[in-house]
Amino acid sequence: MSLALIAALPFLGALLPGLMIRSGRNAASGFAAFFNFLALLGIALNTPAVLRGEVILAQFNWLPSLGLNANFRLDGLGLLFAGLILGIGLLINFYARAYLSKSDPVGQFYTYLMLFQGAMLGIVLSDNILLLLVFWEMTSLSSFLLIGYWKHLPEGRQGARMALTVTGAGGLAMIGGMLILGNIAGSYDLSVILTQKAAIQASDWYLPALILILIGAFTKSAQFPFHFWLPHAMSAPTPVSAYLHSATMVKAGLFLMARMWPVLAGTPEWFWIVATTGLVTMIMAAKIALFKDDLKALLAFSTISHLGLITMLLGYGTKAAAMAAVFHIINHATFKAALFMTAGIVDHEAHTRDITRLGGLRKLMPITFGITTIATLSMAGLPPFNGFLSKEMMLEEASHTLWLAPWAMGALATIGALFSVAYSFRFLGHTFLGPVRDDYPHTPHDPGFGLWGAPALLTVLVVVIGAAPMTSAAWLVDAATTAVTGEPAHAYIKLWHGLEPLALWMSVFAVGGGLVLFGLHQPLLALWDRTPRPEAKRIFDGIIEPFAALSRGLTGALHDGALTRYLAIGVVAIVALGAYAFDSGTHLPGTRAPTPIEIVPAFGWILLLCATLGVVVAHHNRFVSLVMLGVVGLIVSVGFAYLSAPDLALTQISVEVVTIVLLLLALNFLPKATPRESSTPRRLRDGAIAGITGLGAGGLIYALMMRDFAFPSIAGFHLANAKTGGGGTNVVNVILVDFRGYDTFGEIVVLGIAALVIFALTEAILRGGPANDRLLNWTPRAPQAGDRHPVMMVVATRMIFPIFVMVGIFIFLRGHNLPGGGFIAGLIVAIALVLQYMASGFAWAAARQKLEYHTMIGFGVLIASATGAGSWLAGRPFMTTNYTYIHLPPLEEFEVATAALFDLGVFLTVLGAVLLALSSISRIATRAGEQGSAEPLDLVPGKEEAR
Amino acid sequence: MELLVASAVGMMTAAGVYLILRQRTFPVIVGLAFLSYAVNVFIFASGRLTVDLPPILTKTALGYADPLTQALVLTAIVISFGMTAVIVMMSLGAYLESGDDRIDMTDTPEDDT
Amino acid sequence: MMSHWIIAPVVLPAVVGALIVLIMRHDLVLQRVFAMATGALMAAVAGGLLWSASVHPAEAYHLGNWPAPFGIVLVLDRLSAMMVALTVALWLAVQLYAIGSGWDTRGRHFHALMLFQLMGLCGAFLTGDAFNLFVFFEVLLIASYGLMIHDGGRDRLRAGVQYIAFNLVGSTLFLFALATIYAVTGTLNMADLAVKVAILPAGDAALIRVAGVLLVLVFAIKGALVPLHFWLPATYSLAPGPVAALFAVMTKVGAYAIIRTCTLIFPPSTPATGMLFAELLLPAALITLTVGAIGVMGAKTLSRLVAFAVIASMGTLFIAISRFDPQSTAAALYYLVHSTLVGAALFLTADLVSDRRAHDRLTDSLPPIARSGLIATLFFGGAVAIAGMPPLSGFLGKLLILDATRGAMLPLIWTVVLVTSLITIVGFSRAGSVLFWKAHASAGEPADTKDEPLTFAAVILLLAALAAMTVAAGPIMAYLGDTAAQLYDPAGYIAATALQGAN
Repeated sequence: MSLALIAALPFLGALLPGLMIRSGRNAASGFAAFFNFLALLGIALNTPAVLRGEVILAQFNWLPSLGLNANFRLDGLGLLFAGLILGIGLLINFYARAYLSKSDPVGQFYTYLMLFQGAMLGIVLSDNILLLLVFWEMTSLSSFLLIGYWKHLPEGRQGARMALTVTGAGGLAMIGGMLILGNIAGSYDLSVILTQKAAIQASDWYLPALILILIGAFTKSAQFPFHFWLPHAMSAPTPVSAYLHSATMVKAGLFLMARMWPVLAGTPEWFWIVATTGLVTMIMAAKIALFKDDLKALLAFSTISHLGLITMLLGYGTKAAAMAAVFHIINHATFKAALFMTAGIVDHEAHTRDITRLGGLRKLMPITFGITTIATLSMAGLPPFNGFLSKEMMLEEASHTLWLAPWAMGALATIGALFSVAYSFRFLGHTFLGPVRDDYPHTPHDPGFGLWGAPALLTVLVVVIGAAPMTSAAWLVDAATTAVTGEPAHAYIKLWHGLEPLALWMSVFAVGGGLVLFGLHQPLLALWDRTPRPEAKRIFDGIIEPFAALSRGLTGALHDGALTRYLAIGVVAIVALGAYAFDSGTHLPGTRAPTPIEIVPAFGWILLLCATLGVVVAHHNRFVSLVMLGVVGLIVSVGFAYLSAPDLALTQISVEVVTIVLLLLALNFLPKATPRESSTPRRLRDGAIAGITGLGAGGLIYALMMRDFAFPSIAGFHLANAKTGGGGTNVVNVILVDFRGYDTFGEIVVLGIAALVIFALTEAILRGGPANDRLLNWTPRAPQAGDRHPVMMVVATRMIFPIFVMVGIFIFLRGHNLPGGGFIAGLIVAIALVLQYMASGFAWAAARQKLEYHTMIGFGVLIASATGAGSWLAGRPFMTTNYTYIHLPPLEEFEVATAALFDLGVFLTVLGAVLLALSSISRIATRAGEQGSAEPLDLVPGKEEAR
Repeated sequence: MELLVASAVGMMTAAGVYLILRQRTFPVIVGLAFLSYAVNVFIFASGRLTVDLPPILTKTALGYADPLTQALVLTAIVISFGMTAVIVMMSLGAYLESGDDRIDMTDTPEDDT
Repeated sequence: MMSHWIIAPVVLPAVVGALIVLIMRHDLVLQRVFAMATGALMAAVAGGLLWSASVHPAEAYHLGNWPAPFGIVLVLDRLSAMMVALTVALWLAVQLYAIGSGWDTRGRHFHALMLFQLMGLCGAFLTGDAFNLFVFFEVLLIASYGLMIHDGGRDRLRAGVQYIAFNLVGSTLFLFALATIYAVTGTLNMADLAVKVAILPAGDAALIRVAGVLLVLVFAIKGALVPLHFWLPATYSLAPGPVAALFAVMTKVGAYAIIRTCTLIFPPSTPATGMLFAELLLPAALITLTVGAIGVMGAKTLSRLVAFAVIASMGTLFIAISRFDPQSTAAALYYLVHSTLVGAALFLTADLVSDRRAHDRLTDSLPPIARSGLIATLFFGGAVAIAGMPPLSGFLGKLLILDATRGAMLPLIWTVVLVTSLITIVGFSRAGSVLFWKAHASAGEPADTKDEPLTFAAVILLLAALAAMTVAAGPIMAYLGDTAAQLYDPAGYIAATALQGAN
């Protein structure tokens, strides 16, 4: 069976349980088990080849440009781990089926479990370290979900987050390490990397890579000082603890070290970092385990300790040590998984895992007791069980490893073994031995086969491997060791080596000492409780919580909604960077002759200065500032006229009028004054920012105006082709409707959208809610004028209305050749209508408003689009114009351009947009209770009731 | 002439920037209007200054002002008009909804938890 | 070969938008039908353009049949085609959600504005003219103003005012920059600028540098680069959910514009500007990423958390962009697509939550919500993707960027990227466990079980797209590799516009 398929099977198995959450435990577990079994079968089919020494590969391109390929490999090491993952996985599946209660969402559980299994299997089958990273991080994620499986338990949630944080951090560090490793080796494929030992260990980047990768491995395998997350992960359901936190996930770190052993091991750095970390972890965790009352906590620390042991062996960097490590991986998986399950059984039956509330279970649950005894003795490293064998090998290696002093390593290793004997006896003794108690939370008895079957099978393995290691396990150890060390290995494991070996006496001492410690447990416990010691969770929270608080404060303070500060920062940044860009480039001042200054513009300039200052100074009085703003706009438009831009002048002035009217109408509902609330320093700061920005803008445009174009401007073409190509003499207008008609198209769309936005906004305001209420009981602050519709004004506006419209049409028609055009025309007609509103009120004018504004806008945009698209019929691009001259007497010959049609669209859109905007305000006014009488005048001749 | 125009641009920019840093919506809108005057003149001037040479083709003209920048300014004016209209109405709406025309939202919903 | 299809992504939505305003503004059903139909049509067009761009060299469309640089041209190349396709895809998903959740019933002109928004985005991606880019920026902005305050409300309107004010300053800056560019070079056509800036007289260097920096700053505002990002959190978190989701592509407009201008007009090889932009962008990007990650950790509501995640992703994106070499740009483009889709998915998920809750605060938890399991799964998927965890595309994107950022800055860049990823992971895990796990601790039954299949379909589609990006990473990167190559060889682009005359 192809490795890729095998790797995919667990994920397939994850699918259905999740989808059929309601379908009950048997369906879910059965489905998962089926795929689990298939995968195991696949591995089994490949086993003979692997044992023959072959390395099975399956390669697919995934992301070649990165060197990330879906390459899988199966060698001895992979075989060992795949066997563990799938074999124990099957047992866990069986065990969990009985363990989980009716109320638990079993479908979810099996989905998560199979996701984890797939990720784990992926790690051990990857032949590409980037692919390995993918699966690596997925184990962190799926274990996060599994630990937090019981959502309602706070410790579950916290444990899950802690595990994700620590292992996630390790994973990120490992990403860095792996990328560096790949850079050195020139490939991310293991098959290549494993051949690059020399290059890698010679590289300057070796140490960074090593450290980063080891951080990943240590966090995953709960090595000191990253071990603290594992005990908190025990809030997961026991099947999870048994699977992830004893047999598989925590071994991923060991796997990685074993996997990278050929290229990373053998250097002093490797030895000192790995061996020392392992040693410290082994002793420290074993000691803590001795004093834990929670069965699972005890097992958790025992697990950490054994992981340390294996890490230490890998750290030695010798072939024999590696072999011992491999062997202990197998043995630990068997007895520790069994022990977790029995702990779960006790918890399940007695409803507590607290040793101090247990004891004497021997008689109540004999089967469980039997299983536990064998597994525990193996954990303690007593003959004839498999734990003894690998522990002997460990002590043997330790005894002749030079670390600080010749004897140091051996001695310390013995101490570690001693502790593990002690806590093993405590686990067994204080739970099962002793008198039967009558105060169990729930009187326990042996569970059904569903629960004890799996651990029983594992203990059988414990016994068999212990009794006949050569036949039962040596072949696997050989294969794995060969894969780890890269050279053929042949294990020679047996129970009895005679009395000579030092290791024997070391373990005798360990057992003896362990029994003594066990006896002295009470006084030691008292001592332990008195000694202060760091509590991992508190430290972890002590880091995370303040950081979270800091982030909250920082984020809140930075983004507190103070737009004025945002803008200040933004403006300063813009000016500063602009200045930097200018300063860091070469600049030659321009050579253009300045146009002479005359009196009139100079006078206008002074006027502008006054008006501008006026606005700034008097901006607290909004009405005044508005009037002066109008003056500024007026001067600007006059300036345009003076500087040969008639179109701009016309546009500016008409826009000015409409804008001011709009602002006046809005001001009717806004406060009339701006309170003085900025402190003097604040005003000075803003003044400084403003001044510098002004200097920047002024200086920039001056520098530009005083120089010639570096290259002839494209405007020349426009001047040359306006008449011949565009059929108009007003080049500006021809540019607007022809050369750059597409801009104008976008521009009128903008206006149209603006009107729609304003309309929608008004609807939202008037729909009800605080704004509407505020309007409904609106009391005009300023006293209203005596007569709202002055006779003179009404009459005047009536009279000029047709004139305005005429002018508008005239301006529109001549636009193509003389200053004017659709936009200006639209504004002029709009103004004419606005005047009617002002004179006779909205209601009256609206009553005479035949064409709906929306229609105007939509129609305008459509006409413009249609004119543009019309050129498609001629096979020309969008917006290609066409024109001809028509002569119908008595009129003189005039020219008709499709551009004029386009301009009509502009006209309509502008008109509609302006009126829609103004009418929206009027609607607000109406809601605010300004009775717009439907009469043209306040006093209508012949209608007495008008007032 | 260039000096006058440049200083005018500077003035209006400065005024605009000062006003957009005020704390109420209305002066900010006025400030934005100022900025759009400033930038319109800026674009216009970027076509260099000419007197009495409108870009209207005639037989007798000695030369023409840059028509392109004028067209660009026209577009800019129109667009900024639309934008002004929208922000005016929106600040009006915001004022009516909250009874307060401060532009800073120092009381953002996430803070009143 | 000249095909009118290039202009279709602009004209089509404009016409339908106008029609909706004209004749069906009172009939929501018709609006929905026409909007979705247009979307489908646009998808077909975009697909066609994508295909055409991938098999043909860059292709120009001379509007008004005027020769470049005197008229306006649209240019279709791999990048613009890809951006249009991405936009249309996102737009469709968002529309689906808006219709399914009934957001479009809560105010007027939703569909018209959505269509004009689409028009503005496509126009901005397709244009080959600097000033026309401004015009379409304004189109998409003013449409976004309308969408942002859709359905009104106090905070939304106030945030809307801020959003507009900030962007009006940006638009003004845009005009300053364009005028400067024109005053120096005398042209507005981007291809023409590419030619002329490259051979600019030394004495003009300082001024064109100013113009370039101002231009990039305008785009940096859109792209939410620190210190110009301040407008984003309030806007995105207070905008209607689907609108915020659509805005996920608005920040990318800034990224696109920077990639375009800095590879076409101001490539590192240009003497006047050189590595100026790389020098400015990298530090800003690193800070942006940090600010975003801290924001994810410190956000008090789900929608703000997502907003900061978007800022962080922009930081990551700009790190890759600031390298200005083909490999990094290809990586950046992959990450750009990814972050757009995932940002949208998360905003929609946040809307699913806040729609079923009184609030989406992360400080205190509420009873479990209807469909909690499904929503939690969607959130988990989105979080995994945006935090850059496998198996979704975020992880690949991050690997690609890390792999591309070798060189002197490697230690700094890698440290920032990896540490911020951790912060993001922690932030999201905290938020998720409060929102979805802690809820089960507090007793209480799910509130009203509202069943809106379309909304879930939209989010699932977006996540499915991420999964597809992961699986098909190989071919996608092949396309993006060629895209980057095309960007760093502007000759084709310039040739397409067939410049004439004045130079």
